[in-house]
Amino acid sequence: MTDSGVVYDLGYKPYEGDKRGRRGAVATTYRDGNYRVLGIKRRARKKILPWALAAFVMVPAVVFVGFAFLLSTFAPEADSPFGSHADYFELTGTIVLLFVALAAPELLIPDRREGVLSIYSSRPLLPDDYVLARFGSLLTVAAGFMLIPQVLMYFGFAALDADGFFSALWSNGGAIPRILAATAVYAIAYTPLALLIATVANRKSAATGVYLGTLLIGTILSAALVEATTMPGRRYTAMLAFGELPTHVNDWIWGTSSSEPTPMAMAGFDAWVSLLVIGAVAVIATLIVVWRYRRLL
Amino acid sequence: MTDSVLTANDLGRAFGSVVALHSVDFEVPPGRIGLVGANGAGKTTLVKILLGILRPTTGTATVFGDDATSEFLPIRSRVGYMPETDCLPLDMTAADFLIHAAGLAGLPRNAARQRGSDVLTLVGLHEERFRRIGSFSTGMKQRTKLAQAIVGHPDLVFLDEPTAGLDPEGRGDMLDLIARLGGFGINVLVSSHILGDIERTCDWVLMLDGGTVIRSGPLDQLVEADVASVEITGDADAVAAFLRAAGADVDSDGRRLIVTASGADPFLLIRDALAETGAGMLSLGPRATTLEDVFLRQGSSQ
Repeated sequence: MTDSGVVYDLGYKPYEGDKRGRRGAVATTYRDGNYRVLGIKRRARKKILPWALAAFVMVPAVVFVGFAFLLSTFAPEADSPFGSHADYFELTGTIVLLFVALAAPELLIPDRREGVLSIYSSRPLLPDDYVLARFGSLLTVAAGFMLIPQVLMYFGFAALDADGFFSALWSNGGAIPRILAATAVYAIAYTPLALLIATVANRKSAATGVYLGTLLIGTILSAALVEATTMPGRRYTAMLAFGELPTHVNDWIWGTSSSEPTPMAMAGFDAWVSLLVIGAVAVIATLIVVWRYRRLL
Repeated sequence: MTDSVLTANDLGRAFGSVVALHSVDFEVPPGRIGLVGANGAGKTTLVKILLGILRPTTGTATVFGDDATSEFLPIRSRVGYMPETDCLPLDMTAADFLIHAAGLAGLPRNAARQRGSDVLTLVGLHEERFRRIGSFSTGMKQRTKLAQAIVGHPDLVFLDEPTAGLDPEGRGDMLDLIARLGGFGINVLVSSHILGDIERTCDWVLMLDGGTVIRSGPLDQLVEADVASVEITGDADAVAAFLRAAGADVDSDGRRLIVTASGADPFLLIRDALAETGAGMLSLGPRATTLEDVFLRQGSSQ
């Protein structure tokens, strides 16, 4: 050990590796979007709501599987009283709606208000790339909220099945495409409209309020008009209940009917009409968001 | 010029009836380039065209030979940009933001993490890297903006008013950092209306006024010391007349004359004038041309 030290100026080390260009910029924007909506790498208070909602979608599934385990242990002949996949989508659909209402403004508004868009506009990234990466982030996390508890229930119930794990997986295999389809319908129904409102709003709380208010008022209005009036063409006002459209499609996917009939069902529409409205709104909302960001970026 | 970093040919840009750039032509070599001009001269518009953010109304611009309108994605992979306006996410730490900025520049995840740390050290924010940007001072935010611009090790970095809002000490630190970038193999374009900043950091100057280029060339040629200041006792008007007849430009302020002699030695001309007129002098000294002199002279002759 010497009694005098030497300070080395390591200087500047240039980066000489590969650059991934547009592909890397899109992947980074997508990853940042996932972090942002879940509050990861953000202050603690931004983590509270997304993770509380994540717990709300997961805990019932864990409880259902746990009770099913107890039932299979102590009363194997009894019928299971626990919720089906279809019922669980109705439960998680409402929670995902709340999550999307909170996450969409968080995803878009700070970048605009804090001027961060000027950083994106100087990187190898097109405005469409930015919008689709953000859209993809919200869609992925919202779909995850729906899918993960369903997967837990699927494997959990299979593990407890009297016929054995693999046999149960095989016999219930028809549920897998239905789970995927229902997940896609809920996620695609809820996210584009929320992003559209977040695109034009300047405050996060206002965007959340307008989104939830629009869906709530639409549902109340359509139920009232479909049921309580005799005006011609009133059945078409059922389409105003946009928040209920995925439930209508979910009932069709699983061949069930929800505890309370949706306005679209009350008006006598087939599920494909709801699916069409969901798709049309998703396309139009996405195009408007892209158009707006082409002017901003 | 085959190795030009930036070129413009008949470049123009209008916003409705307002013409921001009008028929701009230039070729700029590698190095540290100063883009100077008053507020509204068209500096930010020019930078945004070079980045492919704005499309020119007329003409073309190239960066490293690539057309800024049609090939802006490859250009953006090679350049960095420090905007004049706020551009930082206030709820992120400096370290996380630099990793994000490096990712946007195309660096893989592990390299982005390493580069983010290195560049924060370079700009003097290593100790503060886990603090939220929202809690930073103006000087720290400016350094974070510079860090995000160079984190991808660009071949060229555009710095738009990098010393805006800084106190004299912070301004000095920022200019020192900018002056060092050339040594790292990074070409720099500094856009500023503070001519002293350009003189201190750049070796090539592109001067804009009213949307047109009024001078473009090496800094040392623009600010060469070809001016002398002399205070006369006696007939100052006769001395001034002799100097003008000899081809010098003379600004007269009573007994003090500012003598500019392009291509000649102003001191020899003054000696001859004093000998010829019999006037005496109280003081004589050089007066180096500043960028401000060049800018004002060019601006008034437009």
